[in-house]
Amino acid sequence: MKDRETEQRLRREAKALLEQGKVDYIIGFETGSLKFTTTPLITKDKDSVDRLIINPFIVNNLSEYLTELKGRVGIVAKGCDNRSIVSLIQDNQVKREDVVILGVPCPGIIDLSKVEGLVGKDRDELDDVTRDGDKVVVTVDGEKKEFPASEVLFDNCLGCEFPTPQEYNILLDESSSLVADKTASRKGIETLEGMPQEQRWDFWEKEFSRCIRCYACRSICPACFCERCFVEESEPQWIAPVPRWQDNLIFQVIRNIHVAGRCTDCGECERACPVNIPLRSLTKEMYDLVDDLYHFKAGMDKEAAPLMTHYETTDPEDFIK
Amino acid sequence: MANKKINKKNIAKLLGDWSKEFELFIPSKDEGIAKFAKWDGKDTSFLDWHRNTIVPPKAIFFPPVEEMFSFQKDKQSYHIELPSSDGQKQLIFGIRPYDANALTILDKTFKDTYEDPYYLPKRKNTVLVGLGCTKPYDSCFCTSLGGSPTDSANVDLMLTDIGDEFLVEGVTDKGRELMSMSSELEEATEADETRAKETKEATYQKVTRQLDTKDIEEKLLSSFEIQDLWEEIAAKCISCGICTLLCPTCYCFDINDELIKDRGTRFRSWDSCSFPVYTKMPMENPRIEKWRRVRNKVCHKYEFYPMNFDVIACTGCGRCVRQCPVNWDITQTLEKMQAKVQSG
Amino acid sequence: MAIADISDRRRYLAQGNVYLPHIAIIEKIIDETPGVRTFHFNFKDEKLREEFTFDSGQFGEYSVLGIGEAPFCISSSPTRRDHLEFTAQRVGRLTNALHRLSVGAEIGFRGPYGNSFPLDFLEGKNLVFVGGGIALAPLRSLIWNVIDNRDKYKNIDIIYGARSPADLCFKYDLDAWDKDKSVSMATTVDKGDESWTGREGFVPQVLEQVAPSPDNAVAIVCGPPIMIRFTFPVLGKLGFTPEQIITTLEKRMKCGIGKCGRCNIGNLYVCRDGPVFTYAQIKNFISSEY
Repeated sequence: MKDRETEQRLRREAKALLEQGKVDYIIGFETGSLKFTTTPLITKDKDSVDRLIINPFIVNNLSEYLTELKGRVGIVAKGCDNRSIVSLIQDNQVKREDVVILGVPCPGIIDLSKVEGLVGKDRDELDDVTRDGDKVVVTVDGEKKEFPASEVLFDNCLGCEFPTPQEYNILLDESSSLVADKTASRKGIETLEGMPQEQRWDFWEKEFSRCIRCYACRSICPACFCERCFVEESEPQWIAPVPRWQDNLIFQVIRNIHVAGRCTDCGECERACPVNIPLRSLTKEMYDLVDDLYHFKAGMDKEAAPLMTHYETTDPEDFIK
Repeated sequence: MANKKINKKNIAKLLGDWSKEFELFIPSKDEGIAKFAKWDGKDTSFLDWHRNTIVPPKAIFFPPVEEMFSFQKDKQSYHIELPSSDGQKQLIFGIRPYDANALTILDKTFKDTYEDPYYLPKRKNTVLVGLGCTKPYDSCFCTSLGGSPTDSANVDLMLTDIGDEFLVEGVTDKGRELMSMSSELEEATEADETRAKETKEATYQKVTRQLDTKDIEEKLLSSFEIQDLWEEIAAKCISCGICTLLCPTCYCFDINDELIKDRGTRFRSWDSCSFPVYTKMPMENPRIEKWRRVRNKVCHKYEFYPMNFDVIACTGCGRCVRQCPVNWDITQTLEKMQAKVQSG
Repeated sequence: MAIADISDRRRYLAQGNVYLPHIAIIEKIIDETPGVRTFHFNFKDEKLREEFTFDSGQFGEYSVLGIGEAPFCISSSPTRRDHLEFTAQRVGRLTNALHRLSVGAEIGFRGPYGNSFPLDFLEGKNLVFVGGGIALAPLRSLIWNVIDNRDKYKNIDIIYGARSPADLCFKYDLDAWDKDKSVSMATTVDKGDESWTGREGFVPQVLEQVAPSPDNAVAIVCGPPIMIRFTFPVLGKLGFTPEQIITTLEKRMKCGIGKCGRCNIGNLYVCRDGPVFTYAQIKNFISSEY
């Protein structure tokens, strides 16, 4: 019900922004073409803002589109998306005055793969999936099943420290009550940390053998804004443009280093991966490392210099041997 | 030869008989996602989950990366060597009708003008055992492309789910020969035939997504220059390669060399028209803008391929719809395009 | 077993793997401009050296093995067959590697691919060649071809330009054509230098000044996309119909044989259906995709 109210408010605000000429585009979510899915709505048309929705499936990090749109943009942003926007501002990719941020305090997004796993059915076979406070109610074959939200939210949502946008023009709802559970959000990483090095290497060999180089992880990542990625450089050629596991792994390692201090753990890379490579085990580890080593969290302060472009005398240097 | 049937409990034995003669591929989740993989001699778990694989079986004939040849450099001279092949006969078990149809579509390109020496021999060495679909996804639209979830047109042998058993139909001589290679098959009764017919009809009705392909070639031609339309269609596309690389009818590839000391290899690997670099020349890039790339992708499937080969390069498998991380939907795109062309 | 035809892939490949390059040896290197070189080459295999044939306008895929492969037209004329030539500008990984080679080095070649200039159609006609920069390469194969069969053709006009005098390619050809009384030649540069005494101006402008008649004529155009875009309208103004304009196009290519996908203009592949097209064939798509 609360989503409905937020949604109504969003539509009013978005329409007003377009009508008053305060923005050229609105970027938000609309109902997708498959069950439960939502899809980005990028529009200049004030009538189509009535298609904007807010629900527990608004998963995309829409800040991805900011760098390619010309003009002023009103954008729907959850907590993590909001930090990506701020990070883009820090990197001079987006001007603060060119975006009107419609902040959505986020209670966490439902991971349909987890729901599928719990009920043993594919998403298109489910009658309904709804959020009810701390619970998610799944209706299958007319029968209702309740799960604690913590069992069906995306792992990155479980560890989300800032579900409520901090840098906004309009906040569409009261603050989210989502409480970060760092352990739950590091489940995959902890399994890896428990493995001996050999076994970890084997693990990643197996995972990266599946990679088909669709580059969805890079394409969907707002922090990957380079016009030309090192992967496509041919003089010198950094990695072979061929999907072999060793090259695939190096691609991810370098991508990880490039997004260090920019990655907000929105989880989009892992979600987009069509061959289920647990990419968040790398990005989240990097996210936590950045925090531990430099006490830096991406996208928290639009005035702050990007992490990797400056140094402070207090920066740790004991890795230099 | 009359149709036969096989009890699902005996599938492993049937596969076992065939595996004496063939290298066998089945739908498998062993490698972390649903794809066709070499049979391990016992696994029949696909009977419980098989709806559609993420990676299409084109990967068996046209792998994501393939060695074309290797070479040795000796001072200034090169010696080129072809990869060795044992010419092993292959059998793909459980291929879906839309994926088998896709291979027939791919054949046209790989046979055109110059015969492709990597794809075609593998194709020739492989028999296809189709498995009719009983549970189409909400992303499926094979019936709009002249197919059906239980179509036997492009396989050698066709299986249809009739409850505890599969009805087995020999489609080609190769397929009928397969039937004689196993004693696990029993004669099908009239009741079995009736059940198979009912399953086929019922499954056909379960495909709810529709795409109007009437005059689509002409409509695309007349929409080609409507830039606003294509910009709107392309707006949410993120230019990743999922829809193309995982498309069973997409065949674009890249060719690259690798040299380690004096030993080198030339590879070909999957490529995608969604990537800006795909058409990049040193001084120019004719499709640097996203809408041009999206337009090319759509037109290639529904306009250019029919112009060249009289067939739409899409079988309605729905992978592009289901796997897209932003839910860019080809059926909605074509609807939008058609509405625009009709309204002028 | 009759169940599946056993086809030994290795045998199949050996019969004719279209992707396998033939080894060729570089015999001579000519510096055309600071970044452009012409390579004279011949096949290592003597039988191939004798049997190889091609037509003006066709191209090949050239390898520096270990670096990669790229398409270039065969820029020599089939009427002069003691060696083959291609011309490459240093612009990327492969061309950098090519430019590092010296005489005697081995390269890979596969081809010839694509269609060629329609000699039958050109016979008995006035020919207007319009070229820019390094794109004279495919035209010069045809120009020499035509000159070597001079009595088959009527008037020959050549309009050729480059950005500066230093960017003019094939100066030895330009000189030869200048001296040839049966050819009328207009060389231009966008901007001359102190020693330049010839024409100045862009190729389309010079074409308009030279104003060849469209009567019984065919224009053969090749140049950078920007030149092509401005040349077609001028030819139109002069009265050339789209059927009377022939061009040869360049696109990013990998396979060279109509399979890898990237060189399409609409449903046509530049490698398979071209690279030679009439303007009539491509005018629907060229405005927005070239």
